[in-house]
Amino acid sequence: MLPEFIVPRLPRRVTVATLAGIISLCGLQVFAENLVMESPAGQLIQTYCVDCHNPDKNKGKVDLQSLVQHGHGSSPELWDDLSWILEEREMPPVDEVDLPRPSNAEYVAAIEWIKDRPDSAASELATADALPGLPVLDTYCTSCHSGPDAQSGLDMAELISTPLHQNPGTWEAIVRKMNARQMPPHGKRWPDPQSYQLTIDYLEDSLDYFASVNPNPGRTSTFRRLTRTEYRNAVQDLLGLEVDVAELLPRDEVSHGFDNITVTELTPTLLDRYISSARMIAGLAVGAPVSYPEGKTVRIKTDISQTGRMEGLPLGTRGGVMIPYNFPRAGTYDIEITLTRDRNESVEGLHEPHELEVLLNRELVETFTVVPPVKGKTYHKDVDKHLRLRTHVESGSQEIGVTFVRKPDLLLERVREPFESSFNYHRHPRTSPAVFQVSITGPFEDAGAGDSESRRRVFGKYLTADDKSDEQARQIIQRLARKAYRRPVSDGDLAPLMAFFEAGEETGGFDAGIEAALSAILVNPNFIFRIEHDPAGLAAGTAYEVSQIELASRLSFFLWGSLPDDELLSLAESGQLRNPDVLEAQVMRMLADARSSSLTELFAGQWLYLRNIDSVIPDLRLFPDFDENLRKAMRRETELLFEHVMREDKSVLELITADYTFLNERIARHYNLSGIHGDRFRKVELDEASSRGGVLRHASILSVTSYANRTSPVIRGAWILENIIGAPPPPPPPDVPNLEDVVISEDMPLRERLAAHRENPSCAGCHELMDPIGFALEAFDAVGQVRYLENGIPVDASGRVADGSTFAGVADLEEYIVKHPENFVRTMTEKLLTFGLGRGMEYYDMPAVREIVRKSSETDYQFSSLVLGVIQSQPFQQRIVQ
Amino acid sequence: MIITRKALPRRTFIKGVGASLALPFLDSMVAAATPLGKSQLMNVKRLGYVFMPMGCDITRWTPSDAGGKLTELSPILNSLDPVKDNINILTNMELRNAYPGSHATSNSAFLSAARAKQTESNDYYLGTTADQIAAKAIGQDTRLPSLELAMDLQENVGQCDNGYACVYQNNLSWSSPTTPLPAEAHPRIVFERLFGEGGTEAERQAALRERASLLDSVMSEIKRLKKDLGAADSAKVDDYLDSIREVERRIQLAEASVRDNPAPDIDRPLGVPASYGDHARLMFDLQVLAMQGDICRVSTFQLARETSNRVYTEIGVTDPHHPLSHHGNDPDKIARMAKINAFHVSLFAEYLQKLDSIKEGNGTLLDHSLILYGSGMGNPNKHDHSNLPTIVAGGAAGNMKGGRHIRYDQQTPLANLHLTMLNKVGVRLDSFGDSQGVVDELLDV
Repeated sequence: MLPEFIVPRLPRRVTVATLAGIISLCGLQVFAENLVMESPAGQLIQTYCVDCHNPDKNKGKVDLQSLVQHGHGSSPELWDDLSWILEEREMPPVDEVDLPRPSNAEYVAAIEWIKDRPDSAASELATADALPGLPVLDTYCTSCHSGPDAQSGLDMAELISTPLHQNPGTWEAIVRKMNARQMPPHGKRWPDPQSYQLTIDYLEDSLDYFASVNPNPGRTSTFRRLTRTEYRNAVQDLLGLEVDVAELLPRDEVSHGFDNITVTELTPTLLDRYISSARMIAGLAVGAPVSYPEGKTVRIKTDISQTGRMEGLPLGTRGGVMIPYNFPRAGTYDIEITLTRDRNESVEGLHEPHELEVLLNRELVETFTVVPPVKGKTYHKDVDKHLRLRTHVESGSQEIGVTFVRKPDLLLERVREPFESSFNYHRHPRTSPAVFQVSITGPFEDAGAGDSESRRRVFGKYLTADDKSDEQARQIIQRLARKAYRRPVSDGDLAPLMAFFEAGEETGGFDAGIEAALSAILVNPNFIFRIEHDPAGLAAGTAYEVSQIELASRLSFFLWGSLPDDELLSLAESGQLRNPDVLEAQVMRMLADARSSSLTELFAGQWLYLRNIDSVIPDLRLFPDFDENLRKAMRRETELLFEHVMREDKSVLELITADYTFLNERIARHYNLSGIHGDRFRKVELDEASSRGGVLRHASILSVTSYANRTSPVIRGAWILENIIGAPPPPPPPDVPNLEDVVISEDMPLRERLAAHRENPSCAGCHELMDPIGFALEAFDAVGQVRYLENGIPVDASGRVADGSTFAGVADLEEYIVKHPENFVRTMTEKLLTFGLGRGMEYYDMPAVREIVRKSSETDYQFSSLVLGVIQSQPFQQRIVQ
Repeated sequence: MIITRKALPRRTFIKGVGASLALPFLDSMVAAATPLGKSQLMNVKRLGYVFMPMGCDITRWTPSDAGGKLTELSPILNSLDPVKDNINILTNMELRNAYPGSHATSNSAFLSAARAKQTESNDYYLGTTADQIAAKAIGQDTRLPSLELAMDLQENVGQCDNGYACVYQNNLSWSSPTTPLPAEAHPRIVFERLFGEGGTEAERQAALRERASLLDSVMSEIKRLKKDLGAADSAKVDDYLDSIREVERRIQLAEASVRDNPAPDIDRPLGVPASYGDHARLMFDLQVLAMQGDICRVSTFQLARETSNRVYTEIGVTDPHHPLSHHGNDPDKIARMAKINAFHVSLFAEYLQKLDSIKEGNGTLLDHSLILYGSGMGNPNKHDHSNLPTIVAGGAAGNMKGGRHIRYDQQTPLANLHLTMLNKVGVRLDSFGDSQGVVDELLDV
């Protein structure tokens, strides 16, 4: 469902047409000629036609030399005739066999160019005196942007008298500002909207044209190491092992909003950790003997309320935790449970006996009873001492659950309305005991390697073979290495791995040999790094298509955050992946696969800052209801909306305009919505008056853009500019203003405090752009709840954009965003491309971005059309030689 | 904190929460853990750097005297009273190269005194930091040349200073102008880095051999990859080879140290303590261990990241630190911020006292160390990098006299202090960053 206020964009291709006219206005005649002369049609004419059709010879009264020189705006009829004649291959004259004739490819290219040629009506418009084109820039920009003191060092007068293709970066920046309606500044004189848009179109079309004749797909780094999430996924896909990668590898640095950009380094620390991880993972995967019991202690976040059922645990339970754990060997393990205590070391909420259950893969292993201490006889420190057991566990990934049996009478009568959260001794103490930590230690009696998923994956059909041979080892290692290196493996790859196998086998037998080879695979640069090679013999600056093997990895890491699967890799190996139909089918298959949820986790999680929710800790005096359960629910709501748009292939505009959302009881209560029970999330249709819907109304987004104790229109405005409108505020100026002189009372409404900041002109430049947009969300407080008052004063959620558009709240802001859908879709495309390529967007990527957006507009910006567009784009398919 | 090295070990050591050190145990450990033998250890000089984020309320920081002998401390520094004779306060230091004022540069200039190239991409460029210059000189004989520690486990996205890659804000230590060294905040991982994988001596030796052969395989594969690369990519691969050689060196040292230094039977910390204070104390304790065992002589520790929104509820401050630091001169806010400043200093004071309580040769660990505590920002309200809060602690093995307040009339480069400290541990450099000289008063013993 699209709102009807979307105005159709001015017809494309009006404006390349205007080029000739505008160019003559700017004294760029030469430049116009070059345009045509260097075009395929121009080349063909100059090579094969002008000998006869020139001003002197003028055979058949046709002068093609002048046509070329006058540019594509001139003599539309002649161009049309020419196109027809070329299509029929009538010229050069067929009977004159000695004349050189163009190749078929030359014909086709020339005809296509003529067809795409600027249309003549527009060109007439272009030559009119009152042309709405670059004169707009001249009239409305140069009063600030010219001469030696030009604002921001941008001399527009000079810029428009220089050929456009000499300053593409500057022009892209200008186009970005204009698309976001950020210039001229608010309150200055503005051109009429149509001229403004026409100027943008003209500039964009011109930039696109130059990009098409001078392609630059950019260059992703030759070596890019896997991020730690990709590493986790790769280990999962390769070995069926889920490892806690945060314990193994250092965190990745973030650039351009994503953690897969600055991944070219290999510091000693990192290398050291890769070696440790490889040894640990290889040992787990084959179930290698351990020399001493190992353990893991899981501590539950202190601000989780354990009054309801927790994720992954069965119905009828309350609180606790579900722990996935890789048991290195079959054998007996100790499980030890501690309950939460308050600052007086008393077990919290223990007022009556409670039953605590320990589950292994959801099967009951043991039930404990916890009873309150008897005054003077037993003590709090002892009440959970008996919560330990030793039990047999199979090797591999198993789930240990620790949870209480739910009591029917959980609803306690209290003097005041109960809080949603219950974990805080002072404000809303726990009403029932909660699990604090669970430790798992073992194995104590070792019962062998057992039968684990990872062993089945590693050994494949040789899992139970009696007579193990080197040949079997070779096959196992080859299969693992191909998948891990994401390419066919050569004998040169295999030799060192076999050496590891032999060394390992000698000391510890066949399994130890495989383990040694596997750890060598896992530290191999071909696994750790994604490597893209320039083909031999290409000159620097040449654009080339990346190999199909490399393309397969680009696809799988983009859509799955992991290794290509067998189907994808096989298609690449057999050279079929680049076939457009095959490629499209693969993309659709990969999007439909469950692994594409990594787009939600990795892409949406970073694009929308959802990852930051974990560090949101609101002031608990102001927001006593906040707890980890709510934090999780907030994040889930936004993830589910994104996932819905992806899985149902909706228009991405629904991320903004959705008239539904995904809720469970916890977050529904936060939103003051009734009738939603239980912790399961479900799609909820919302009526028009609802204050919920698109992401701008999600508590997740509203919280990560707030401070602990108040909202921040500045952060919210900057977030919208960066992530939705795609025109982020520039870096802070060198003369950071001195706030020293302005003592600002905490009691003043935020709007007035920020207004005080903006009185300083050097603040105003950016804050005039950020703050007024952020104000539109002021009706939501720092945890995303609707509010009507701020410090007792009615909330004012009115905001505006520099062109004078105003809004009175989130609905208007959303309407404004979808009124210019290209801005949002372009921003999302840029983010997708940044994430997909693993590099920041440069000015030369923008033509490709616009192309994706244009194509996607044909399907109303369906999710898959964006993803497919990104994958088919030049930057994704190609790379430039350094 | 549950430790599981052996099923039932002597579980005495790091007591996780409120981790205090069992001194007799450590004393016995040092004998065992000394690769060089005690006599050589006597005068070992160690360097430590502790970074406090977002400046402080300098009015509550600076002692009120006119300089000279340190008589009375200040509200923020009061907790340092027990070690007053082991510290010097420096007033009016600045970081010119951190301007224009920002959080990214506050962090990045602190140890580099260099100007950060403004970029959000891979082409970040800063300068080699003082600790890493020291590590190259005095860190080579120990198993780890340097230890980089921090307190923030979580990565933040999209919230670094505008125009600066997050590496500037996250990493204090840079081993070259283009190589930031990530810091570790997880106590268990730090522990394993210090003491390696557990088990018997033979098992540790075997583990090290396996690591060495894995490393060899990485080396030969990298060399194989290098063959058909262009110049720029080839240079990148040379960086990788440097890293490989560094890890190789560490493994060799570790092998030597396993022979001479049977692993202390230590319980390893597993999780991260819930409260900030306990976590920070544990991280300080790990530095004590590293120094005492002579596993590492250079450490850096970031008490929190710039723009940290951490809430210090344990001292009753519920406002997030960063917004609070932009106090707009509101006296109440300044007072609350000063509480955070004093809390950070008090944790440092505990650390110094621990170092001072551990005997080493003819003095204490503190006597043989030189530790800088400070911030890259002065007044956080206006993002300035002048009038920086700065403390130098320790005795530098008799090379530094404490108990003084060095008050400069004019803003003086913090780089002068870096240069002086490097000189004091025997690294001879003529200049560092934007230094204009040395801190004469510190040289005057």
